[in-house]
Amino acid sequence: MSKVVVDKMAMQRALTRITYEIIEKNKGVNNLVLVGIKTRGIYLAKRIANRLQKLENKEVPVVGIDVTKYRDDIQHTDNEPAVLSDEAVSLKDKNIILVDDVLFTGRTINAALSAIAELGRPKNIRLAVLVDRGHRELPIRADFVGKNIPTSKQEIINVQVDEIDDQDSVEIDEK
Amino acid sequence: MTTRYLILEDGTSYKGKAFGAEATTTGEIIVNSNMLGYQEVITNQIYHNQIIVFTQPSIGNTGINHKSFEAIVTNSKGVVVKEYSNISTNRLGNLNLDLFLKQHNIPGIAGIDTRELTRRLNRKQTMKASIVDMDDEHAFDQLHATVLTNQQVNQVSTKAPFPNTGDGYNIVLIDFGLKYGILRKLADLDCNVIVMPFETTSQEIFDLDPDGVVLSTGPGSPRDLPDSVLQMIREVQKEIPMFAMGLGHELFALANDANVYKLDGEHHGSNHPIRQVITNQIIYASQSEGYAVDPKSIIHDQLLITYVDLVNGTVQGIRHRDYPAFSVQFSPDGGPGPQDSADLFEEFLENVSSQRR
Repeated sequence: MSKVVVDKMAMQRALTRITYEIIEKNKGVNNLVLVGIKTRGIYLAKRIANRLQKLENKEVPVVGIDVTKYRDDIQHTDNEPAVLSDEAVSLKDKNIILVDDVLFTGRTINAALSAIAELGRPKNIRLAVLVDRGHRELPIRADFVGKNIPTSKQEIINVQVDEIDDQDSVEIDEK
Repeated sequence: MTTRYLILEDGTSYKGKAFGAEATTTGEIIVNSNMLGYQEVITNQIYHNQIIVFTQPSIGNTGINHKSFEAIVTNSKGVVVKEYSNISTNRLGNLNLDLFLKQHNIPGIAGIDTRELTRRLNRKQTMKASIVDMDDEHAFDQLHATVLTNQQVNQVSTKAPFPNTGDGYNIVLIDFGLKYGILRKLADLDCNVIVMPFETTSQEIFDLDPDGVVLSTGPGSPRDLPDSVLQMIREVQKEIPMFAMGLGHELFALANDANVYKLDGEHHGSNHPIRQVITNQIIYASQSEGYAVDPKSIIHDQLLITYVDLVNGTVQGIRHRDYPAFSVQFSPDGGPGPQDSADLFEEFLENVSSQRR
């Protein structure tokens, strides 16, 4: 019994608006690096980079990170690499935009901050999420939000992206 | 039907058949290429003091209905058609075009070779024309002597604020000669709108503490408006999310140091593909423009170009880099024309809700 709360057009609009807001806050694309988390965050980061390129005619680098190693809430082995990228990447003095699909307890982002700490000291880090579902367990907040979707803890938010799920949507499901 | 003449500033005279009011009028002659929606076109205050030539050959076949008014007071100066169709089988129509024009003292002329007329007017600077009973020397003298007012916005803008109530966001809409489609779209989104006169100052807007400000469409040139309007825009855009369209867009551009120039031949239609820069997608939109923003004059540090017309290359949308303020040259509410870009109103409200958090 799932309900679609964000459809393809709404997701596109949300990403477009986030892109404009990033340009506003960052005063352009100088020194910008988009860091996408795990799977879907990386595809969303790539879409934002694509939009930035169309507006400003400049390539903004996209880096993918796997934060499992730093999580404190899931069992994991300690040997996974953090950065999912072939070239060596330094985030020193850069303006980072962390990108993820859903912001919930905040523990993933906390793990991401630890991961980034290993890649150099950035100038600043801002957070962009497609969906903020509330229920934070840590003092973490997003700078750019696609959609605020208040949920109960019994509900599950399911984000699908065209690149791997063959459709763009955000659905709410009962557990 | 009696005979009537359409005479142009360049000396041309067209003989046609009269319908609508028995009035003699003078105005700027422009061509509208929309296939549908003549009621919306005729009642749109953008056409204040203009004589409208329709390329659609048969006009009048859907009558006049209650829901398609873009303004109640109609300011256009004449309707020129190939064929006036008195057959209206539309179930929503409660009045025919002939009677409607008589009510508003607007003359119509039918039987004109609108294709030839359109080609004559195409891509040239706009000229004056008159609809008269006799195309004699006197009529031409009167035509040449008539000076059209440049105080159009002053004539059509509301003199006192009025509301369009709702339960949602509080929006101030600055009236430069607005079309009702804007009110309809804001009402659909539940906005609590207050429509204000065009000379409203920024302090008056701040006193109302709105969630967002919309600058409406309107007639005439943006340069005919006082500098105080540009000053208001500069001050308000810093504090409150803003959305502008049509004349509002041109004013927004001027306020942000871009240049606006007069087009060679106004464009009124919905047939130009428009590219949305950020996604490379194509939309179609209802365009009514006599002026455009010069892309070379856009200061890249201040404004981003967001939409481009693919037929004539004109700038169709801009956005401020530092503030949640954006504008489009076209009418996103359609009326008449496509609603491809109606979600721009939603985009505006998303800016509003981001700001309010």
